[in-house]
Amino acid sequence: MDVLETDVLIIGGGFAGCWAALRAADLNATVTLVDKAYVSRSGASTMSGGITTCPLDTDDLDVWAEEFIVRGSYMCDQRWTYQLLEGQRERIKDYVRWNVPISRSPDGSIRRFASRGMVNVRGMQYQPKVAMRELRRQITARGARILDRLFITELLTADGEWPTRTGIAGAVGFDVYNGRFIVIKAKRTIVSTGMIAMKGTHRVDNDCGDGAAMAFRAGGRLVDMEFTFGGTFNVLMKKFDFPSYNVAVAHGARLINARGERFMQQYDPERLERSELSHVVAAFAKEIVDGRGPVFVDLRHVDDSYWSDIARLHRGGSILLTDHVPDPKTHPLPIEPTWGMWASGRSGLQIDLGARTNLYGLLAAGSVAKNDATGTHASAGSPTAFCKVSGWYAGATAAIESRECQHPVIKDDLLRMLREQALAPLRRPTSSNTPDILHDDLARLEASVVDGMILNGEKLTRMLRTTETVLEATGTCRANDLHDLVKLHEARNVALCAGVVYRSALDRTESREQFFREDHPMTDPSWFCWHGATMNSAGGVDFDRQAFPTEGAKLKPESPDTPSLGPIGAIIRGERAALACS
Amino acid sequence: MFMSDPANGKLSINLETCTGCALCVLACPVDVIRMDAATAKPVIAYPRDCQVCYLCEDDCPTHSISLSHDISNSRRYSTYDEFGLKIADSQS
Repeated sequence: MDVLETDVLIIGGGFAGCWAALRAADLNATVTLVDKAYVSRSGASTMSGGITTCPLDTDDLDVWAEEFIVRGSYMCDQRWTYQLLEGQRERIKDYVRWNVPISRSPDGSIRRFASRGMVNVRGMQYQPKVAMRELRRQITARGARILDRLFITELLTADGEWPTRTGIAGAVGFDVYNGRFIVIKAKRTIVSTGMIAMKGTHRVDNDCGDGAAMAFRAGGRLVDMEFTFGGTFNVLMKKFDFPSYNVAVAHGARLINARGERFMQQYDPERLERSELSHVVAAFAKEIVDGRGPVFVDLRHVDDSYWSDIARLHRGGSILLTDHVPDPKTHPLPIEPTWGMWASGRSGLQIDLGARTNLYGLLAAGSVAKNDATGTHASAGSPTAFCKVSGWYAGATAAIESRECQHPVIKDDLLRMLREQALAPLRRPTSSNTPDILHDDLARLEASVVDGMILNGEKLTRMLRTTETVLEATGTCRANDLHDLVKLHEARNVALCAGVVYRSALDRTESREQFFREDHPMTDPSWFCWHGATMNSAGGVDFDRQAFPTEGAKLKPESPDTPSLGPIGAIIRGERAALACS
Repeated sequence: MFMSDPANGKLSINLETCTGCALCVLACPVDVIRMDAATAKPVIAYPRDCQVCYLCEDDCPTHSISLSHDISNSRRYSTYDEFGLKIADSQS
C-alpha cells in the first residue's frame, strides 16, 4: 500500500481537472492529478467537437447572460452565469496565448458563430486534442504530480463513515497496470470525472459517473438528476462517427426528411437545426413516427470553412472527407441521434460559487457538477466553458482553503478495509455475470430515441429495478484481471448513478424542458426549484427542493410559471408544429 | 454490438512499420492497447472494448494503426430498426 499526501487531490484529468490543477499549482498548493486513463487523452474533453462559448472583451455580457438565463427558464444561479462568462473570457485568452489552433476568419480574427441553441451568444471552434496536450504541459511545468492509469475506487472519509458526518480527506484506488493499492490523503479533494453515461453507447467510454457515485456514497448532494436524459447526433447510421453536429450546423448544415423537407422549419422557425438539442431530437422522433423518415444531414449548403476546419481541428474529421462514399459534399447522409444518459451540466453535484459541494473538503468541477450558470438550457459550447471556469474556481478555492488545515488522521484498519473492497473481485469465484454482461444490462436501458424520450412511471420503475439488480450483482461478480476490475467498478458506479436518475425522475411528477413524462405531461409550478437527492444512513435516497437564489439575480421571471405542456410533449404530440404553421 | 460480444477486429496495428513508441498505449482512453515487454511493440490486449474513437490512429507517428470505418455503430438500438425503416447510404 502506497500512502501519498497532497494539499489538493484532483480526480479526473479533462478540461475541468486540468484547469483546477493549473490554478491550484499557481497558488502554490501541492497538487496531485489522477486519471484512470492518460491525462490529455481521457474523457469527453479530448473527444469533444471543439466548440466553446467565446465572449471577448468587446462583448456586452449582459446580453449574453440574459439569453442564458431566459432560455434556461431562470432555473439557475445568475451569479454563476456572470462568473461563467467573465471567467471564460479569460480562458479564451489562455488558448490564444498557448497557440491552440482556433478557427479564424481571413482577417485573422477568431471566427465566431451563433452557438447552437442561441441567437446572441457566440461560440468558436478550436482543436481540443491540442488544448488537452497543452494543458498537460502547463500542469507538468508547474510541478504538479500527475498519476495516469490510477483508478479511484472511493473517496476517503475523515470519520470512516459513508455517508460521512465530518468530510472528505482524500481518496483511494489502484494502479491499473500493476494493481498496487494507493491512498492519497488530501486537504481538499476535487472530483472532475465528467458525465454519467452508459458504457459503450457514445464513444466517450470512460465517463461512467465515477465521481458522482463516489460523492453520493459519501453523502454528496446531487441535483436535478432527471435532467441527465439528453441527446446528441453523433452517429451516421450504420456507418461511423459524425464530426460534431454542433460544428456542422454552425456552418450551415441542414436536416431533411425522406421527402427532402427541411423539417425544423416547422418546429423552431427561428433557430432551425440550431435549436435546443432536445427539441431537434424530439423533432427527429416525430418525423420518424409520422412516417417521414429516415432523416439526413445535408452538408451541401455548408460554407467552405466547414471542410477546412474539420480537417484541421476535428478528430476523425478527415474520415468524412476522404473515406465516405458517396461524397457528403453532394449527397445528404442518413443520420440518427441518441437519447439517454448524456448530461453535461444539467445535473450533478451541486456546487457554490467557489465550487464547494455540501461535503466539507470536497469540491466538484466540470460535467460531474450541476452547471448553475445555464439552468436547464445548455447551448453548444457552454459545457466546455463551464469545465474551464468551474475547474479554475475549484482549484483556487481548494488551494487557498488547504493552507488553513491539516490532514486528518486515518486509521490503518479503515485503509485495509478499503483495499479489500477495491480488490476483492479479483479473488472471487467465477460467476455467471461478468463486467461486460453487467454493462450490457445497463446499456439495454438506453432504448430507441422514441422510447427513451417518452417516460412514464411504469417504465421508470422497470428501469430502476434493473439498476438495482446490476448494483447487487457487482457485489458478487468476479474480475478476471485489473482491466476487468476497472470495468466492474465502473458498472457499480453507472448503476448507482442511473438508479438515482430514475428515482429522481419518478419523484418529479411533472414534465419540463427535455424531461417528458406522458403520465405527467404538464409543468407544475411547484417544481420550479432545484431537486436534490442525497443518500441517507439506511442507504435510501432523500429528496429535497430548494428555491433558486434571489441574491445577485438581475432578472426576475417575466411571468408566473403556469402549467403548460413541455416542449418535448408539444413536439411529440404535434402541437409545436401546428403552432409554428399558424 | 454489445460489450460481451466477441471482438470484431475493428483495430489493427502494422508491427512492421510500428516503432514501439507507445503513444497509442497512452492515447487509448479505455486501455485497449498494452505494450508487450518481450517484443517492445504494442498488442491489442482488449479488442472488444475499442469504441473506434480514432485517438490512437491520430496519435500514431508512423500511421501504423488502422481502424475499420465500415462497422455497425455503437448504438444498441436504432430508431430506424424499431420502425422497420431501410436506409440507403445516402438520399438519392
